[in-house]
Amino acid sequence: MIRKFVIPKELGESIEVRLLQWCKAPGETVNVDDALLEFETDKAIVLVTASQPGVLRHCFFGDGDWMKPGDTAAWLSDTADEPLPEPGANLDDTLIVAFDAT
Amino acid sequence: MSRLFFREALCRAMAEEMERDPRVILMGQDIAAHGGSYAETRGLFERFGAARVRNTPVAEAVTVGLAAGAAAAGLRPLAFITYLDFLMLGLDPLVNYAAKLRFKSAGQLTAPMVVKATAGAKGQGPTHAQSIEPWLMNVPGLTVLAPSTAGDAYGLLKTALRAPGPVVFIDHKRLFPLGGVVPDQEETIPVGSAALRREGRDVTIVAHSYMSVVALEAAGALSKAGIEADVIDLRSLWPIDWDTLSASAGRTGHALFVEEGQEVCGVGAELAFGLQERVPGLRVARLGARRAPVSASPVLEAYTIPDATRIADAARRLLGKGAA
Repeated sequence: MIRKFVIPKELGESIEVRLLQWCKAPGETVNVDDALLEFETDKAIVLVTASQPGVLRHCFFGDGDWMKPGDTAAWLSDTADEPLPEPGANLDDTLIVAFDAT
Repeated sequence: MSRLFFREALCRAMAEEMERDPRVILMGQDIAAHGGSYAETRGLFERFGAARVRNTPVAEAVTVGLAAGAAAAGLRPLAFITYLDFLMLGLDPLVNYAAKLRFKSAGQLTAPMVVKATAGAKGQGPTHAQSIEPWLMNVPGLTVLAPSTAGDAYGLLKTALRAPGPVVFIDHKRLFPLGGVVPDQEETIPVGSAALRREGRDVTIVAHSYMSVVALEAAGALSKAGIEADVIDLRSLWPIDWDTLSASAGRTGHALFVEEGQEVCGVGAELAFGLQERVPGLRVARLGARRAPVSASPVLEAYTIPDATRIADAARRLLGKGAA
């Protein structure tokens, strides 16, 4: 199954966030509790960790890019060889993640 | 051009000016190791040291008084007042000493200081969310700046830190979550220069600080209804950029003044009168907070403060087109 990772809308009053870095590269396996990416709000640096396993397949933003809550930041899949949908496809399934703000 | 958070734009301005001029010092609550209430001084304590980045107690009268004295003695202090409301405690040293020093001493002494304070309503209730800019505009000798973008915050804070006399630099709680474009090269913005944010032909909407953001939203809605608005972001509340205001109002013939603070004796009251003197036949209207303290209830807070709908309705009324 292909899943999307969405920048959460539950970020308090943040309107924009900045992607600091991906902790995984496309093609890499993501295990539960693995760090996926780090982004910055106006108030905090947020580390995102995976709460379910998968393979990071495609990143829609690069390090330093600005994103909005609700943006799809990446696609992940259960296995590395699942075909990806057409670009722009709106997927139903969302990767479950945890947030740790510092 | 780089995109920065509002706090980062402020921080860069302070760092550059502290690098450039050893007389620039910072003083305020939680600005040292903590990095500021909005993280706007993050890294400056580590970079410039405890002598130039100084924590102060919760004592605004003392903070502003010390800044005025330090300025008269040759430093260039930037005093942080967490919320603009708390500047009421520091008005005596600011108004009676700093603003008047050059006049009282026949120019022998000056007070080149900046007071930076955060205005605006965002859930903090009646005494932590007021917009009292007009109180300060009323004082001869004070420069009053109020940017609405990260780029302007950067350029205006740098200007403030080089200014000959006291400057009050007012930002807004709702500006901090926003990013904005800041020039890569060092740049300053002169005092008394407003910015035309959007061009239209029908009505001039004048705002400052966060209300400029809301006014642009209203202008977008008006445009869909066939009404095109000039939106002027004042940036400088004193001195006032009458040239930019007059040029726009001369074209549109209608000027709407929007502010988050009270209408009574407000920014709009002063500007509407002054602009009518300069643009014969100009039709004006003003829109500010309803006559009540800022509420701690989010519902009542939103009810009292102008939003895009109320601004657009006020513009339609001014043009004789009725509210939507």
